[in-house]
Amino acid sequence: MGYLNNQVVTVDAILTKKGRELLARGDGSFQITQFALSDDEIDYNLYNPSHPSGSAFYGEAIENMTLMEAFPDENQIMKYKLVTLPRGTAKMPILDLGQSNISLKQTAEKTITPQTLNYLDNNQVFESSGYIFTISDVRLFSNFTGTGVDEEQATSLNSTTTLGTNVSKTVIGTSLNMKATGVNTLFGSNTQLQATLTIVGRDSGARIQIPVSVKKSTS
Amino acid sequence: MGFKRLEAEDLVISTDSVTNPVWSNNNPTLTEFYTSSLQTISSTGEFYYSIYQNDPLLNDNSEVQFSIAYCDSEGSGSNFYNVLVTGSSPTKSNYNQYKNLILGDENEEFIFGGHTGSYFYAINVDRARYKQHLLPGTMT
Repeated sequence: MGYLNNQVVTVDAILTKKGRELLARGDGSFQITQFALSDDEIDYNLYNPSHPSGSAFYGEAIENMTLMEAFPDENQIMKYKLVTLPRGTAKMPILDLGQSNISLKQTAEKTITPQTLNYLDNNQVFESSGYIFTISDVRLFSNFTGTGVDEEQATSLNSTTTLGTNVSKTVIGTSLNMKATGVNTLFGSNTQLQATLTIVGRDSGARIQIPVSVKKSTS
Repeated sequence: MGFKRLEAEDLVISTDSVTNPVWSNNNPTLTEFYTSSLQTISSTGEFYYSIYQNDPLLNDNSEVQFSIAYCDSEGSGSNFYNVLVTGSSPTKSNYNQYKNLILGDENEEFIFGGHTGSYFYAINVDRARYKQHLLPGTMT
């Protein structure tokens, strides 16, 4: 990503791989119906409420920053989106999986049920709308489905497939069921395959990313 | 410029991977590097230098290939935004910008081979050059 000219107001829009895929279908399925805002690049430590020139200059270091071009990798951009939380929220909600990575042997199964901490005054650890689960390379799993959210969108996402292409898959649910692939040819000369699992709370916007590995069975 | 017209090759119509050289005119190797005096003396020159494949003052087809930004946790290497606020400068903004993007935590520090790095140079390849992503292992 290069830099954007910060001398003018710029809207820099690109299509992700998924967006290009939908556009290429040519069947009208490419429709922009939603948008999100994020501030990944901004470090608010640069905000200076002690600036001697007054409040108009508190954000001087942030407002003068040069911003980067957008880039189409959902693992690297739009990670920290604008969310709506109850007034008076002192701590940002965070997701807890109880583990910092996932390692599975071939054909092993695992169920993940995230919890949201610091959410709604700590009165609730599960989000009623569920979570968005994205695996960076769906070939590592013969089963990758979300459960617990009864919506047409959730059902539709569970049914998406790939014909052996290295693409991500996103599902919705309160829990995630995974089964590691039994396909040996995927490994080549490697003993294990790596991917990244990204989980986002649909109500809180909290986000966590953990590495996932599938180890090749030797017998 | 951020805007680029959508070309036919930008559309995914199959699962085949499409690769091509990253630099302008499908050049796989960049051997000459030029800056623009107009850019380096502008306000953006405080943050980064844009690098072109030929002299942008003499060639209409000059395109930004990549940019180099100096990033310093203490703000060294550039003038302060305001002389009354020492330590707040473009190079510090650069450092914190990459820290947030890459580490995702403003309280972490960059670790390079076991050494905490308080400064570094960042090379930003223009998106118009690499389209989707750079092929790992091909930059030497």
